[in-house]
Amino acid sequence: MATTLKDAVARKPVLATIRLIVPAGAARPAPPVGPALGFYRLNLMAFCKDFNARTQKYKAETPMQVTLTAYKDSTFEFVVKSPSVAWFLKKAAGIETASGRPGHNVVSSLTLRHVYEIAKLKQSDPYCKHMSLEALCKSIIGTANSMGIEIVKDL
Amino acid sequence: MLPLVRPGRAAAPLRRLCRRILLLSSSPQTPSPSSSSSPYSTKISPLLLLLSPRPSPASGGAWRWRGVSSCAVRAVDVGGEAASTSSDLSSPYLSVRIRCRKEDAEVLSEGLLCFGATSVTVDDIAAAGNLDEITITSIYAHGEDVDSSVSNAASSAGLEYKPVYETSVGKQCDWVTVVQETYESTKVINGLWVIPKWRTPPDPQAINIIINPGLAFGTGEHPTTKLCLLLLRETVKGGERLLDYGTGTGVLGIAALKVSCLVLLVYYYLQMGAALSTGIDIDPQAVTSACENMMLNGIDSNKMLLYLVPTNAQAACFPNIDKSEENKPTGGLELKSSKGSYDIVAANILLNPLLELVEDIIGYAKPGGIVAVSGILTEQVPKVEEAYSRYLENISVSEIDGWACLQGSRKA
Repeated sequence: MATTLKDAVARKPVLATIRLIVPAGAARPAPPVGPALGFYRLNLMAFCKDFNARTQKYKAETPMQVTLTAYKDSTFEFVVKSPSVAWFLKKAAGIETASGRPGHNVVSSLTLRHVYEIAKLKQSDPYCKHMSLEALCKSIIGTANSMGIEIVKDL
Repeated sequence: MLPLVRPGRAAAPLRRLCRRILLLSSSPQTPSPSSSSSPYSTKISPLLLLLSPRPSPASGGAWRWRGVSSCAVRAVDVGGEAASTSSDLSSPYLSVRIRCRKEDAEVLSEGLLCFGATSVTVDDIAAAGNLDEITITSIYAHGEDVDSSVSNAASSAGLEYKPVYETSVGKQCDWVTVVQETYESTKVINGLWVIPKWRTPPDPQAINIIINPGLAFGTGEHPTTKLCLLLLRETVKGGERLLDYGTGTGVLGIAALKVSCLVLLVYYYLQMGAALSTGIDIDPQAVTSACENMMLNGIDSNKMLLYLVPTNAQAACFPNIDKSEENKPTGGLELKSSKGSYDIVAANILLNPLLELVEDIIGYAKPGGIVAVSGILTEQVPKVEEAYSRYLENISVSEIDGWACLQGSRKA
């Protein structure tokens, strides 16, 4: 049901692209899903059921990124992607919010192992497959630096 | 992949300030590492906030200046205080329309999601065609600091300008009702239709199940509902007892009572539905909806029972049909005592609950009774089969559109 967005666009006229963050297995008609989809008259319950079924294999309540393409004829397709890197980093470091003053305040630190594990998870994302593990790691380290999370070799 | 996140400013002091209502004056900015702060004030109308880019004298990294106090956004506050984390249906939400350049839209929306937006919608890029700018609509939970979020997103996206945006409060309405107008009558198979309450059945001769969905699942459009309905049509011969595990709108329970294999007896057709349907669900909305649908289809309360079960599936449920104030817990005992007596058990839920509740679901069926589970994707079938093959024999799988339904009969 969720085909690649490229040939989807080629087939039908696209009305809008909606990006959401929805907890896995817990989509409900309430916000964020409700207003975003309801605005375009899309079938909320069908999306909820479909999304919940597809995210059963993930740990419950992890915030998954979803990109929906709404077509002019009120149909839609969506792709489920892994949570954001920032979220992974926060979880690995055990913190709630990133540093308010990154570069000056260091909130937490992680080892290269953590970065490697996150990069491996991200590689299974359909949109990151083309990136080498090294490039992914560099990108993750960059994000960590901007959040005030230090990356050390060993803790 | 996320763009490299370039940092914004500390929002905490600003946020505290913003909690005072209707402040129009400036707020002293926390000093940025490179520039000194200087307060200024703007007159702002409650709903419109225009920000002009104010580049700060920066040294080293590119620090963005967050121009104006975000108190205007607070002025829109409908009396709420701290950021509400509940997904309450009636709580208002903030809808922010942002204008930015076309090529920046993609990166900016990623940034917005990163910094607190719950959803970001981009109106079709192709349609915007000749315009240089496009509009992004973003939704925030009530009480979020929109201004800092937008500026953080803008700086992380690498925009040199601060996008102009306006905020409005959206009143939460029942979105499902709004979408419901688009529901159509669905034909499951020849002679069996599921009709939304407000439509007329296209084929009055067929068996028509009338549904008012509400917030429960089961309008008949979804492949899994169709799979289950087809299964019921084949297996209900008359006089069975059915348990609808996870009843939603009650569509399966009602269908079982109405539908059956047609039996040709001498010169006339004899239609016999199931004798008794029982529906259980953990969601009170579902039980209410099922109750209503029962009435809509003119089903006697002694032919269909509905129970609300707590999530840990213990027997403390109430019969929902009599709507009396005193809900006696005797219903729970009834449900418990009926274990092992159902001819057909249908469970159209999701993979994880199905795997966890194997014993519970099987427990309700009598030996030799039919158990049907659905709500699973084709790729999830092996897992389900593995879990259920301990208790079921003659397992068969039917599929529509990538969704599957697994049925078998309980081992003696």
